[in-house]
Amino acid sequence: MEQQKVDMFLMSYGKYFEGHQLMMLRDKLTTLDDSKFLQLQAANLKDPTTLLIVSIIGGHFGIDRFLLGEVGLGIAKLLTCGGLGIWTMVDWFLIMGRTREINMQKVQSVLY
Amino acid sequence: MNGKNNFLYAPNEDESEKASNSYILSLIALITGFPIPLFNLVAAIIFYLGNKKGTYFVRWHCMQVLLAHVITFVINLIVVVWVLGVLFWNFNLTNNFIAFIITAAVFNLIEFIATIYTAIKTRKGLHISWLVIGPLTDLFVKE
Repeated sequence: MEQQKVDMFLMSYGKYFEGHQLMMLRDKLTTLDDSKFLQLQAANLKDPTTLLIVSIIGGHFGIDRFLLGEVGLGIAKLLTCGGLGIWTMVDWFLIMGRTREINMQKVQSVLY
Repeated sequence: MNGKNNFLYAPNEDESEKASNSYILSLIALITGFPIPLFNLVAAIIFYLGNKKGTYFVRWHCMQVLLAHVITFVINLIVVVWVLGVLFWNFNLTNNFIAFIITAAVFNLIEFIATIYTAIKTRKGLHISWLVIGPLTDLFVKE
């Protein structure tokens, strides 16, 4: 893929990944075929900050987990009222890291 | 506390943040669920499970928090049951009871201060191992 496109992608989505993953991602994207760029952009990556806000506001109903695509955990969180508030509180600290992990998994599914 | 940076490797920024979050969460859980001793323990268990696939540094600190909470839970549970016994079930108000309450209060205070100190240091990438709990954590967490 062209260097310009790689830089543009990393500028737009850099904060969606863990810091230490960016160098590896950059190397992989550089060797990636141009035809996969559209596929990469359609990967539906989630913003960790947005997920944190959703978790603070709607965490008791498991909306953050539903948004991440973890439907089972979302239903469990919904039925237990956010684990009686404890799970909700824990997720305020976990959700951003989990979002970055899932974003990386989505990108990897395109890369490999 | 052993505050030397004697960990196997130098943790990166993300690892330090996650490890520090485990201590901050434990403080928030302590403040939120203060009279209920189970609240902290459940929060620490969920946080540990959430980071079970994390790096060694993150898992190590999550486990240290978890073990600290197990000990605190046992002590606080005894306090709660004993206090309820004195108030409602006609237990005697003995010197042992007062001594235990004071000891438990001091232990909780020390843990509270140690947690704040460790949260700050861990955020900077330093490895803080607590007395007794630190070596115990080494046994539980595999690399």
